Amino acid sequence: MENMPASWKLLLMLLLVLTASCGRVHAETLAPSPKPLASVPALSADMRKVAVLKSQNSTQNVQLLNPVNLSLECSLTADHNNLPNISAFWSQDGREIPDSRLTVALENQQYHLQRLFYISGEEMLGSYSCVFENGVRADFILATPPFGEVRDKPVVSYVRDFVVLPCKMEEAKPKPLSWRWFRGNKTHKEQISEQPERFQIHSEERKSKLKVINLTHEDAGVYYCGAVYAIGTTMNPIELKVITYQEPLKPFIGILIEVVLLVAVIFLCEKRRSKKNTSKGNEENVDQNNIKLQEEEKGAEEGSSMRQRKV
Amino acid sequence: MFFLFSRIMSPAPTDATEYKPPDGGWGWVVVVGAHISIGFAYSTPKALSIFFKDIQEDLGASYSEIAWISSIMLAVMYAGGPVSSVLVKRFGSRPIVIVGGLMCGVSMVTASFGRSIVYLYLSIGIIGGCGLCFNLNASLTIISKYFLTKRPLANGLAMAGSPVFLCFLAPLNQFLLGDFGWRGSLLILGGMMLNCCVAGALMRPVTLPCNPAVQKNTEKTSKHNVSKKGRCRSNARKFLDLSFFKDRGFIIYLIGNTMFIFGAYAPIVFLSAYAVSQGVEEYSAAYLLSIMGFVDMFVRPGTGLIANSKWIRPRIQYFFGFAMVFNGACHLLCPMMKSYAFLVGYAVFFGIGFGMVFALIFECLMDLMGNQRFPSAVGLVTIIECFPMLLGPPTAGLLVDIFQDYKYLFFMCGAVIMSGGLFLIIMNIYHYHMLEKEKAEHNGAPSQNVENQDGVSLSEAQRESTTQTNGDPQDPSPDDSEPDVTDHF
Repeated sequence: MENMPASWKLLLMLLLVLTASCGRVHAETLAPSPKPLASVPALSADMRKVAVLKSQNSTQNVQLLNPVNLSLECSLTADHNNLPNISAFWSQDGREIPDSRLTVALENQQYHLQRLFYISGEEMLGSYSCVFENGVRADFILATPPFGEVRDKPVVSYVRDFVVLPCKMEEAKPKPLSWRWFRGNKTHKEQISEQPERFQIHSEERKSKLKVINLTHEDAGVYYCGAVYAIGTTMNPIELKVITYQEPLKPFIGILIEVVLLVAVIFLCEKRRSKKNTSKGNEENVDQNNIKLQEEEKGAEEGSSMRQRKV
Repeated sequence: MFFLFSRIMSPAPTDATEYKPPDGGWGWVVVVGAHISIGFAYSTPKALSIFFKDIQEDLGASYSEIAWISSIMLAVMYAGGPVSSVLVKRFGSRPIVIVGGLMCGVSMVTASFGRSIVYLYLSIGIIGGCGLCFNLNASLTIISKYFLTKRPLANGLAMAGSPVFLCFLAPLNQFLLGDFGWRGSLLILGGMMLNCCVAGALMRPVTLPCNPAVQKNTEKTSKHNVSKKGRCRSNARKFLDLSFFKDRGFIIYLIGNTMFIFGAYAPIVFLSAYAVSQGVEEYSAAYLLSIMGFVDMFVRPGTGLIANSKWIRPRIQYFFGFAMVFNGACHLLCPMMKSYAFLVGYAVFFGIGFGMVFALIFECLMDLMGNQRFPSAVGLVTIIECFPMLLGPPTAGLLVDIFQDYKYLFFMCGAVIMSGGLFLIIMNIYHYHMLEKEKAEHNGAPSQNVENQDGVSLSEAQRESTTQTNGDPQDPSPDDSEPDVTDHF
């Protein structure tokens, strides 16, 4: 902002005033919120995010906790064409923000685009992009602090058993104001209220646990643990699978049968072999006696016969 | 020094008066059974840790409370050694392995219904640990009964069960956890451990031809407890045979082994954490342990094969010492490994060293003790090894906490293991030197045979010569079927 000549500043102010007056009409087409897009009286930004672009697109994650005046800036380095003017616009969640298209002049080898946004609530979060005429864009993803570890495997538990679904916000991330639990799917979530016989919620500063008691098949599905911040709630999905005791029992019985069969086969084979051996028993006894006699005779020499066995 | 090495041989491991081990045939099937049995024994405590996070959440326990499950299981597995020895000597290997397998199966199945952490301590820790203990001891014993000349190879193959089963159980447990939860997984794991019963069924007892020579000796002393069926059985009533402590070779082995076990497990426990601290990402750091396990899988039988060769077999105790020195040197060099490529190299050499030592660890004891005394000896060794095994990783952890640097951990472990190895080598030279002196004092035919031998060791030859020249038991050869008046407890 400081580099801009006074005329540009004036133009920007005019633009803002214009958009403020038309804000109400445009805001309705954009988002369900009745608030205009940039109706904040103060022009100073609480937070400033800058994306420096050359020829490739860039993406930035912006972590927000509270309502904020956010200034998003894009600086495109001029390429060899060196056009004096280039047009650009802002878009929110893929749709162009009306009346945001500007012609940006080349200044110090850069095209500088800036816009102030007032992010007041969860509906204002999302992806904001500045898009230049030549197709280069910068995305700013505005969101509440995300969860670090997302569990990809479902939690499995049994009918009439209980299960504890854990949720944790790491030390490195900001503390949530409170915790809420939901279940449902992406579009429709229902908050779970604490019912003593079914659900128990135990929350600490950075952890929250949902204990579901007396499970039934209907309890299976996706549960969302929500870390509540002033500006919005971060959701962490946890899938719960409920199965009956018969499910693991089937492989277990299968393995048990296999073990019993193998042991039976081994013992039977051995019995059969020993029967064969006893039928030849007499011959073997004679042999054994010979061996014994030899061993007796050899005495000290016996050792040497052993040792001569080559390793 | 070389002169000493070339002269001194390692023990001939069998008793001429008893029987000749088959050394093949059904013995290889028994090795498969022992492979399965030992595999479950060593890999289960480690593989169970995959379930700990879920158990922790469900039962509301802290991380250290959960970690106790593995520690109790390992402690009971090692501490139950003497009990297992007595039972093996009394009943033979087969029933004990079958009972061990049943106990393991029952322990896991009951654990799957667990509601509290103490219940898990009892079922997995104590019952499971007992079952594994029976498996381990009995499997080692039966190998010593079936093999003599090919025993190092058989031992190497059987001990290879540990890395093979770990490689197999770890991903299987992950898969089961995703499908059935920890309760269902424990149930299925219990079923799988029943396969130890199959392994036990394979361990056909060796039929001992009872030769009259032995029977004559036993008739001399009426105190001896000989089966009336004519099967020769040694005195198995001793619970804790403290006469072993009079055996110099045993003491040397025990001290060296204790030093190894103290330093052996801590690097495994802390390797991933060290790699992460050096900037390696978590997934690649976990991969290091898999590399080590994979290398271990092939090194154990390989070491068995090498130890079986005619150059190494007579000097197997020195080979064992060398393996320990190699392992220790690996750990001492580890802090110099900063990049991932070097850490992978370290993991490979660690796997080689670890595999070499573990392939030989029981072979050397069999070598020293001989067939008859091995079951009691191994029980005594495992119960004593219990202490360094439980103390090693926490001590290493303490070093990390105090100095906030992993390199002291590796220095300590490397130094302890290396000194253990050097101790073994030096003391074995001394030991065999003394044995030669004692043999020279006895004189007679046996000494001539000693010079001819090329596959047996001095202490074994000593044993044979003393049992043959005079039927009376003498130190260090109380391993014939006569009762030793000196040892009782």
